[in-house]
Parts: sequence; structure tokens; C-alpha cells
Amino acid sequence: MIRFDDVVVRYPRAAAPAVDGVSFEAPEGKITAIVGPNGSGKSTLVRALLGRVSLQRGVISVDGQNVSTLDRRALARRVAVVSQREEPAFPLRVADYIALGRHPHAHLWSAVDPAGATAVARAIDDAEVRPFADRTTEELSGGEWQRVRIARALAQDARALVLDEPTTYLDIAHEMSAFELLDALARRGQAILVVSHQLNLVARFAHRVVLLHRGSVAAAGAPSDVMRGDVLERVYEWPLVVTRDPAVGAPALLPLRGRRIT
Amino acid sequence: MNGRPRQGVLYLVLAVAMLLAALAGLGVGPVRLTPVEVWNALGGRGEVTAVAIMRDIRAPRVVLAALVGAALAMSGAALQGTMRNPLAEPYLLGVSGGAAVGAVLAVAGGAPFGLVPIGAFGGAVAAVMLVLAIARAGGRRPDPRVLLMAGVVVGAFANAVIMIALASAPADSVRNALWWMMGSVAGATWAQIAWFAAYGVVSASALLLFAPEIDVLALGDDAAAGLGVNVDRAGRRAYVIASLLAAATVAAAGLVGFVGLVVPHLVRTRAGSRHRAVIAAAGLAGATLVILADLVARTLRAPSELPLGAVTALGGVPFFLFQLRRFR
Amino acid sequence: MPFVYHRSLGLAFGAGVALAAALVAACGDARSRMPADTAVANATGALTIRDDFDDTLTLRAPPRRIVSLNPATTELFFALGAGDRLVGRTHFDLYPTAAQAVQDLGSAIPPNVESVLGVRPDLVLLYASQSNREPAARLHAAGVPTLTLRIDHIADFRRAVGILGRVLGDTARASVVVDSVTGTLERVRVATQGKPPVTAFWKAWDSPVIAIGGGSFLSELVDIAGGKNIYGDDPRPAFDVTIEDVVRRDPDVVFAGPESGERMRAAPAWRALRAVRNGRILIVDTMLVGRPGVRLGEAAVSLARLLHPGSLP
Repeated sequence: MIRFDDVVVRYPRAAAPAVDGVSFEAPEGKITAIVGPNGSGKSTLVRALLGRVSLQRGVISVDGQNVSTLDRRALARRVAVVSQREEPAFPLRVADYIALGRHPHAHLWSAVDPAGATAVARAIDDAEVRPFADRTTEELSGGEWQRVRIARALAQDARALVLDEPTTYLDIAHEMSAFELLDALARRGQAILVVSHQLNLVARFAHRVVLLHRGSVAAAGAPSDVMRGDVLERVYEWPLVVTRDPAVGAPALLPLRGRRIT
Repeated sequence: MNGRPRQGVLYLVLAVAMLLAALAGLGVGPVRLTPVEVWNALGGRGEVTAVAIMRDIRAPRVVLAALVGAALAMSGAALQGTMRNPLAEPYLLGVSGGAAVGAVLAVAGGAPFGLVPIGAFGGAVAAVMLVLAIARAGGRRPDPRVLLMAGVVVGAFANAVIMIALASAPADSVRNALWWMMGSVAGATWAQIAWFAAYGVVSASALLLFAPEIDVLALGDDAAAGLGVNVDRAGRRAYVIASLLAAATVAAAGLVGFVGLVVPHLVRTRAGSRHRAVIAAAGLAGATLVILADLVARTLRAPSELPLGAVTALGGVPFFLFQLRRFR
Repeated sequence: MPFVYHRSLGLAFGAGVALAAALVAACGDARSRMPADTAVANATGALTIRDDFDDTLTLRAPPRRIVSLNPATTELFFALGAGDRLVGRTHFDLYPTAAQAVQDLGSAIPPNVESVLGVRPDLVLLYASQSNREPAARLHAAGVPTLTLRIDHIADFRRAVGILGRVLGDTARASVVVDSVTGTLERVRVATQGKPPVTAFWKAWDSPVIAIGGGSFLSELVDIAGGKNIYGDDPRPAFDVTIEDVVRRDPDVVFAGPESGERMRAAPAWRALRAVRNGRILIVDTMLVGRPGVRLGEAAVSLARLLHPGSLP
């Protein structure tokens, strides 16, 4: 599982820290969602986890190990990341693309490790991308491409899966099927950390929600605890109403028109 | 999986093509020799003149052309993957400018002719280092775009230096320098081939070894970092190896343009997604094309010779346009 | 105050105009300022010559300050006794020794027009290369009498001597020079007449390999000296060739300068030439044979001695 302990990140020449003392846990078997307005520090947290920005203070650990002590390959074997956007410069065969997920496990001179073929096949099946495994990445639709990227992350065989805005560019059906896949993966024991704008989807699928506001945790807990009208309005600075949607029972957010708060 | 047998066929086809090109290169020339005479002469038997022609004129040309073509194509394939840019080519990144400066300064300074390749290589190394330094000064992480811009800037600066050197040099130095810059394998000697081959084999092997890293780099900085690659180090490593390989070709044969840009595109669709295959296939294809280009260069306007760099550029343009059509 | 301001502006403007006028007058003056004895020579009448750029040269008097931007014409001026009139030469004009005392104005193709104008010549001689079109035009525009001559063949040399003789007003001496050279050339031709012709390749440059063709006086000299230029059928003076093409034509001997010849001996590729294998690389004195000048005769003699040793004492 992934654990953030009093993490502080400050970009050079910035007036205030981007992440200011954030602590939470993303346990195995659950979907943990990080939500918050733009600029609240969500992406910075992901970057900090990957070692792309350095910590001012605090510790990020994966399965009990401080990530700063892990070399990149070791980290990649424990945490798989699906970033916001990805566009390969050259068209790849989908199966080859997914196989690149084995890189952290492979030796220098071979592209795929011995256990790789099975891992890749399993990833393809889990993400349900077998029908287009032989096509090239250029020929995929937005939804198919997203699943293929998830498949590559799965091929990494990491216990933790981090996704940064995985449902951008996806229509309703694909959004739902992506989250359903995440749900299935969580049930199988993976620790899933999702950064998302889709508050309603998060409300339905996440087991834990961490709400960030200007770099700090404004609220954390089960969706029904965090997704409350007053908290969200304060953080997002927009009038909204939270109801309990009758069909599913999860909290549902309704933004209202016009600004009442300045 | 499925790709393996297809790739085997591809390598076979390319190897056969290269062999045929080499045979054509060996068999054609102003002096008419029958295939039997060619064969005998290569083995050292037969008329003295024929032996000298085959062993000291035609064979070195063909071999050097093949080596230069392979090296440039492999360098280009590696760079395109590393920089995630289908238009990257070794000359764009300061190598050709630096090598030309080194060579022109050596020539203008009156250095004996044997020192010119060393000057060229030295100039290229200096340019590569300069590009890396500029890119690093621009920020902690040398983004491929920054590398590209630094390369263009260094290239432009090199051009300026060359113009100044040529303007102040005596007329015959200018002619020497210009001829050298237009690219040629006419003066190929076995000694030259030996050092180039030694250097080239090591560099090319390194590129093939690190090819899986290039596959990952080609996905993007974030994705590559997420897969455990040290993006800075891997990118710099690939850039330096590929650029120095191209620098060695400039030292050996002057500026032979377009090969590093066009050949990788020609093989990419057939060779598949893995850079190891793309680089290897590009090597074979590059060798074939430059052997043929040299053949054209020395027969089209006999008894004179066209500069090799001009032939590759002229031939490269239609190839490239053809590729663009497929991009739509 | 505006009124004062305008007045000083007006003064400044007026001064500027006056200064400009003075400059123009001074320049014009310099251009038309001719050497002291022009007034006397005017009586002889003007000399008009059409040169090889189709420009017309008009001289009203023998020139006294000559810039010669061609080694051949520099030599000729000295041979015609007018060496003391030279005020400028090219970097390569080192014969005769006295020429080295003349001011070096740099290259001949193209010349530095400003340096040339700086020595205030009343006659400039240029070599008729296309790169000299612009300098010739600029010299003409500056009012400097300029003569552009092509001197590629031996016949060109004879013509040049004639022209320079007329320019200097000493056609008698010019005839002596022409006759002397022609006589020596004839002597060489006769001496080598009966000998079997020796095929020759003249290597002018190494990278690229440049051969001398039929359009050069060197090819004519080879003919006169009892040889046959393997590229004599090509009308160009010089062009690049592949080594293999030279091998195909199989010359008996190769002419080359000292360093060029040394490189040939060392290079493995040149061993394909029978001439190189047989050690028949004939080293020439590039200063002697390098230009179609007054020493054409001696040049022919030197070549004949190399091609047919013993034919000439």
C-alpha cells in the first residue's frame, strides 16, 4: 500500500508549498481517490510519489519502504502509473506496447523477462483488450487506448496502481467500464490510487476519498463523509448541492448555476 | 509472437539486397572487368592492374559506403526514438556543423591531409558536448525539444565559423574544404576502414544493447520514468552514442545527408515496434542505399564524380515524399 | 527657443552640404588626376583595346602605375622592361626575383578592389575568370583603365604579349619576347619529333582528383614536348576524374608537383596505375610550368627532358 506521511513539496520560486503536510494511506484492496480543485496539489502528489519532485519534508512509502531509498526500477516494480496523457511518437503494435510494461523486470540485454509473456497475457485479459491486441496504437479509439494503457500498467505486476485522471476523453460507457475494471482489480487485492475530477464516479466507486484544498487535506474518509455540500462548496468555491441518488445510493453532486459566494 | 518470422524474412531480404548492391558496386566501373576477373582480382589473382583496382579502389569504396550508410541509419533510428521526433537526424544535432568546423579549420590551418578526419571528429565531439551543456543550462532536465534547439543553435554557429574560416583562407584550401564537405568515399583506404569499423562496431553494439531503453524513452518522459528508466541519463547516453557514431562517419566520408533521416522511416513499418529490430534493419538498409548512391555518384557523370552527399540528398527527397504520402 | 533652434539646424545643414560637395569635388579630382607627363603624351593619340570581357580599354598614354593581377602578365612586364612601373602584384607572382619587391595585393581571383584602388593605378590587368566580372565592373566604374585577358593557351600568350607591347608603346621588344619563346618551343618540338609519343596524365589536384584537359596550355606543352595528354580530347582546361578512369586510360607517365607526387607514391589506390608501379611519376617545378608566361620555352624544355631524357642538351 501507499502511504503519505506529512508530505511537504515546494516548487522553486513558489510563494507557498504545493503540498503542505499531506498524510493519508491508500491500502490494498481498496480504491482511494484524491480529489480537489485545480492547483490543489493532486498531480504534485503523484509526481512526488514517482520521485519527479523532491520532498521538503515527510516520507512517502510503498509497502513500508521509503520510496527515496528505492531505485527507479525497484519503485517501478511496486508502483505502476497511468499518467494523464500519453502519445507514443511512433505507432506500436498494442501487444508490444503492453509488453513494455515488463521493462522494470527485464535485464538490460533482453526486452522481455522470462515471466513476461504470461504477465503480458494476463494483463491483456484483465483489461479486456485482446480483440485489438494486434492493432497499432494509432488505430485505437480513446476508450480502447485508455484500456490498453491500463493493461500496460497491469503488465508491470505492481501491487499498487496509480491513475492520474484516467477518464478524460472517455464517454459515459467507457468511464463506467474503466472504473468497473478498477473495482475488479481492487477486489483482487491491488491498492488503487486514483486522481480524478469526476466526483460522482468517485462517490460511487471509491472506498476512501481524500479532498485536497490548497495543498492540505480538507477532508478524508468514506465518500459519504467527504462528499458533503458545505465542505465541497468551500473547497471548490462554487455553489452545489449533494443529494443521495436513489438508484445507487451513493452521494451525487449537483453544481448550481451562478455564483453566490465570491 | 507473430512478428518473429516476419522479421526474419525482413532481415533476409535486406541482407540479400545489401549483397546485391555490393556486387553491383564491385562489378561496375570505368574499367570493364568480367565477373571472373572481378572474383580473381579480389582474391589477388590475375592482372596487377585489375587486382589493384578491385582491392584498392572499388572494394574499399564499397565497404566504406556500407559502413557509413549503416552507421548513419542506425544513428538516425536511435535518435528518432530517443527524441520522440520522426524528424530527428544525427546532423540536426550539431554533429555535422561541429565536424565541418573541425575539418575546415584543419584544412585552412594547413594541416597535413591525414589530420583532417581527426579534426572533424574532434569538432563533432566538441559540438556534442556544447549541445549537452546548453541543454543542461536551460533547465535541470534536458527535454528532447531543448536538445533539438541547442543542436540547431550550435549548427548555426558552426556554419558561421565555417564561413569566416573559408573567407579568410587561401583559394585552394577553400576548394579542399568544400569538396570534403560534400561527402565522398572516393579516397577510402583500408586503414581508414579499419579504425572506423572498430569504432562503429562498438558504438552500434551499444545502441543495440540499449535499444529497449529507447523503446521506453519513445513513450514519453513521464511514462519512461514510471517504468524505471532514468530519463536524463538514458537520453544523454543514447544521444551521445548515436551522435558520436555519426561524427565518425563525417570524419570518414564528409557530410552524407538524408540517410539518417530517411532510412529509419523506410524500415520502421516492416521492422515493428522494437527499436532493436528497427536499428538493426536500418543498418542493413542504410548500407545498401549508400553503396548504391556511391555507384550512382561515380557513374552518372563519368569520368567525373558527383558528391556522395548530393546523391543521397537527391535520392532521399523522393523517398521522403513517398513516406509523407503514407502519413497523409 | 524655436527660432534659435531652427537657425542652428540650418547652419548645420548648410555645413553638411558644403562638406559633401567638397568631398565629391576632391574625389572627382583624384580620379582625373593623371601622372605628370600625361599632357605630353596626349599628342600621340589614344589607344583602344577590346578585352576578353568585351570591355573597351582606352589609354591616352603609356601607363606608369600598373597593377598586374596575373602571374603571366607580371612576368611579361618585367620581360618587356617595364617592371619598374608595377605598383601591385598578386600573392603568387614571385618570378622574376625583382617582382617580389612589388607590393603584394593579395589574391587574383577575386582581387581586393579596395587595395587595388589604394595604390592609385592607371592600368589594372585581370585574369578573365567569371569570378572577376564584378571586380572588373567596379574598377571600370571607378574610372580605372582595366584590361581583362584570358591566358589559357599558348596562342593567348602570344596575343597578350602583343597587347602589352602596344600598351607600353614598345612593340619591337614585344616581338623579341614572342620570337624567343616561339623559337624555343619550336626547338623542343623538333627535338622530340621522331620519338614515340609518351602518354601522360597531369594531376593538378588531389581531392578531388583533377586532371588537366585539352583546354590548358599545359596540354599543349605536353604535346610540344613529345607527349600525349590522355585527357587531351576534352576541351576543358581542368576537371575532376575518378582514379579508375585514369587507370582505364593507362598513361605511361604522370606529371605532378612535389607534394602531390609524394602522396601518389604513398597511396595504395594509385598503385593501380602502371605508371606509378613503374616509378614513372615525373615531378614538375610548379613555379616554372604553372603559368603561360615568358618561360614557356623553358617549361617545354623541362617537360621534354622528363619525357624524353637525352633529347635536349
